Amino acid sequence: MGSVNLRRLLLLLIIILLAGCGGDLLDDLNPSDKDQRPAVQTGTVGPNVGQNAPDFLISDSLGNSVTLSTALAEPGKRGIVLYFTMWCPTCDSEMSNMLSSHIPNFPDVRFYAVDYVSGTIAGTRNSELSNGYAGSGFTVLADTAQTLLNLYNGSMGTTVVIDKTGIIRSNENYKDDRLTTALTNLP
Amino acid sequence: MTKKIELFILAALLFGAAGLFSSPALAGSCCGGGGGATLIVPKFYQGMADLSFDFEKYDGFWNQDGKYTSDPAGSDLRQYRLNTGYARRFSPKWQVSILAPYVWNVNKYNSGTHRQDGLGDMTLSLWYEALDDVSVWKISNLKDLIPSLTIGPSLLIPTGISPYDGVPSDDVTGRGFYRLDGNLLISKTLHPWSASLSLSYGSYLERAVNREVDYVEPYRKKLGNRTTAAISFSYIYYVGSAGDALTGTAAFADLREADATRDDNRIANSEFQKDSIGLTIAYSSTDHDWKVRAQWNHTIKQDGWGRNFPATDIYSIGVSYGFR
Repeated sequence: MGSVNLRRLLLLLIIILLAGCGGDLLDDLNPSDKDQRPAVQTGTVGPNVGQNAPDFLISDSLGNSVTLSTALAEPGKRGIVLYFTMWCPTCDSEMSNMLSSHIPNFPDVRFYAVDYVSGTIAGTRNSELSNGYAGSGFTVLADTAQTLLNLYNGSMGTTVVIDKTGIIRSNENYKDDRLTTALTNLP
Repeated sequence: MTKKIELFILAALLFGAAGLFSSPALAGSCCGGGGGATLIVPKFYQGMADLSFDFEKYDGFWNQDGKYTSDPAGSDLRQYRLNTGYARRFSPKWQVSILAPYVWNVNKYNSGTHRQDGLGDMTLSLWYEALDDVSVWKISNLKDLIPSLTIGPSLLIPTGISPYDGVPSDDVTGRGFYRLDGNLLISKTLHPWSASLSLSYGSYLERAVNREVDYVEPYRKKLGNRTTAAISFSYIYYVGSAGDALTGTAAFADLREADATRDDNRIANSEFQKDSIGLTIAYSSTDHDWKVRAQWNHTIKQDGWGRNFPATDIYSIGVSYGFR
């Protein structure tokens, strides 16, 4: 193959790659700092801040059933935190940060780690043990069918704060200071 | 072509291979993806095209204390990358290159399988060949000890799907940040041996973020500065008398990235480190225009060989062609 043809083939490949990357390409090439959060929809059920948190029924890693209402009804608690983990380095780092900074400072909040990858209750227990979180300040939930993941539009590191009345106060990737603020502002 | 020029070209090809090898790819279902490599046009060539295919298999990770931890039982996390690259010399000592990966993520957990593909982050590089290696068989004077020295900047362009594009982490094919690197490549060949050292230091540009999976309160984020160092040693074996060459390379690379910042505040425990070893076998034709290679990049799945980063094995095959 001649060198000119090879160069044309390469150029064509690059054009095809660029064409296939879709409309989100510009989001990273020219990021926006505009606040585009949707308006708060109070009184509706959904994953966004200000909405009523979707109810759920799920097992923890020891096989105990947990629902939203029972979690929120726990005596002495002002709210709950759902942290979505896939047992990855980032997840471990953020969970460690919560263990050292948030959990001791907010004993009136229940912290749940939502395992959405292990697939079974036994698998969740194994992951909890191998990652060193057994007996920690987290209650680990086995989201075997990724129900919570879908209900709360979660992903790795998504951190949801729900107050005692079931209103979502925060739903975004883990951020140390923003989580502190959301927990401090719980009624 | 004289024997000396042939040796010179082969050394330059080796140098290019070392450059390709020296920058470990960063990828992963949790930590971004895309390519990260260099492509160098050998001496006496006007350009070089490169096509390679990577298969990266994830196998656990190191936590922030360097403790190796297995992935959840039943998981099978993979990334495939098709890397296209082209480098062009525009003066006797200057050249530019572009690298574009296309990425496929296939992440299987007991809870389900997730597949996503897309363009990864592209890299543009500018290189200046400050010194040439005369690549001799035997040292007869001091000039024979001079290594090749190539320096230049490169720019990582966030053309991939990033964690700030409204997608779950499984869909990520890039990191979402521009990064400007300063690169230095030193290589010396004393036939049939060759050694190279590759160093790079990069700084990400701060960017605004207003979206993760959903839109969030906007903030500014900057990933931590990145340092990469790699050394490699090669042995050239000539196949028959026609000049075809088989080259074996062993390498060690260390990758580090400092803590990221958000709104100028350090994000605790976001730094990472990864050490890896690699083996490459490459075959170049008699005229050295064509070269095929197979690579294996391996991380040691034990405590202390990384921090806050996935442990992987990368298997690659590639072919390059030099335009005279």
